[in-house]
Amino acid sequence: MPSCVKQIFMAILTVENLHKNYGPIQALKGVSFTVPKGSVFGILGPNGSGKTTLLGIVMDILKASSGSYQLFDEKPTNAHRQHIGTLLETPNFYHYLNAVQNLKIAAAIKQRGEGDIDQVLQIVNLEQRKFSKFSTYSLGMKQRLAIASALLGDPDVLVFDEPTNGLDPMGIAETRELIKKLNKAGKTIIMASHLLDEVEKVCTHVAILQKGTLITYGHVDEILVTEDIVETGAADMQQLLKVLQQYNNALQVKMNEQHVDLSFAPGKAELEAVNRFCFENGITLNHLRLRKKSLETKFFELTQNKQ
Amino acid sequence: MYAATLFGANYIAYRIQEAIYAQKQAKGIAALVLGNPPYSFPSVWQATANISSFLLFIPGLILIISVTNEYSYKTHRQNIIDGLTRRQFIVVKIMSAAILSLISTCLVTLTAFIFGMADGSNAFSFEGFHYIGYYFLEAMSYIMVALLMAVFFKRGGLSIGVFFAYSLILEQIVVLILNKYTNYFGRYLPLETNDILTPFPRVDQIINRLTSNTPDYTTFFILALVYLAAYLFIVTRKFETDDL
Repeated sequence: MPSCVKQIFMAILTVENLHKNYGPIQALKGVSFTVPKGSVFGILGPNGSGKTTLLGIVMDILKASSGSYQLFDEKPTNAHRQHIGTLLETPNFYHYLNAVQNLKIAAAIKQRGEGDIDQVLQIVNLEQRKFSKFSTYSLGMKQRLAIASALLGDPDVLVFDEPTNGLDPMGIAETRELIKKLNKAGKTIIMASHLLDEVEKVCTHVAILQKGTLITYGHVDEILVTEDIVETGAADMQQLLKVLQQYNNALQVKMNEQHVDLSFAPGKAELEAVNRFCFENGITLNHLRLRKKSLETKFFELTQNKQ
Repeated sequence: MYAATLFGANYIAYRIQEAIYAQKQAKGIAALVLGNPPYSFPSVWQATANISSFLLFIPGLILIISVTNEYSYKTHRQNIIDGLTRRQFIVVKIMSAAILSLISTCLVTLTAFIFGMADGSNAFSFEGFHYIGYYFLEAMSYIMVALLMAVFFKRGGLSIGVFFAYSLILEQIVVLILNKYTNYFGRYLPLETNDILTPFPRVDQIINRLTSNTPDYTTFFILALVYLAAYLFIVTRKFETDDL
């Protein structure tokens, strides 16, 4: 197999059956997945779902209770970490040093030159304050410095834990653009987030964590499929439900408090056809509306089904 | 600062000695008990080592602050994330402990030399210089205990509190109790082992005669080394296996 093809299939990170207990609390319950090279891999989950714990284990600052992981298809060592730019949880820097001094320390640990310090500071718009002490920075600026630090030495893999935390709307947009740009340049990005919208906007792959359990993972288009929902209503709801259950084109028919909902694959819902079907079966609709299912609803569905 | 404190404390002891030996009658008693002035060669090495060892909490403090600072800013995590191994990180801290001990020992040597020359009652001599070696061992042990506290408690205030309470008071109390009710087992406690090795000149001999129990210094020397090895092992192991 030619080496370039092999590289495409290389796994950046493989996690196998990871468990982590904090005393009686199980933070991770047997999580396994693979991050393919060149992807933007989103780890999605609500607060306390184990995202940071998972990344902490991969970065060797937490010890897994059981299970294993691999970096670049190899047993993980510190040399691997030197080639990964990581922002984990909070920006961690020496408060009494300025941005440049802090980045010099990081560059020395990563065994990279100090040549690109100015460049990374420029990318995150921190040049004007580069000689200010870290303790004088605002939350957003600290976050920017952490991103700059991750970019040091132009690593092929970047790990971002809640990268847009504390940033202003401009900063959020810039960071997302930056992630997309880095990915286009061939870099693999692993990103943890509780913001569904963020994952949907920038990620190619997603893993959904819920209370330490991996609910599902795969390509974003497959996992976060959006559906079209048709809401219907009639005087006799029971009868309506019975009739619509005979309607073959719908993926799913469900009754809630006010309506009977039919779900369709995106773009496949035809209101006229639904209306005609009901009328032909002796029901006159008093409500008919097309609604796009929001990602949030989808997410709630995904996380609640598996509880 | 530390150098000034070290020099200052020895200066106080030196002045006390000067005052005692200046009075004729007191001199007679002192000479009877202590022999030559402690701050004259050769006992000056031992006297300075003994007095200076009371100040070892200062380098201990420096190390605790340097390590717990890393914990409170979480920079120890960032260093590991950026690609240090856990062992590299903790070895650097142990090296800091060694360097602090070395600096401390150099200062003590210099201080002893200056006071020995200032006293001038005897000619310069290297006799008893091995007490400086014991002092280095003692410094290393105290500072490693400080590191142990920092690694276990992680928070600056707590580590400092426990370190002070243990090294200055708690262990002394236990030593006294054990020495009173058992056959001087108190002497085998971790820091006391080192203290035994650097007694004040001749005072130790008097006490030993009074209690008719002379410690075997070789045993204590070996025991001190064993304790030191244990600190190194525990600190390294704790840092390598812990969640950071």
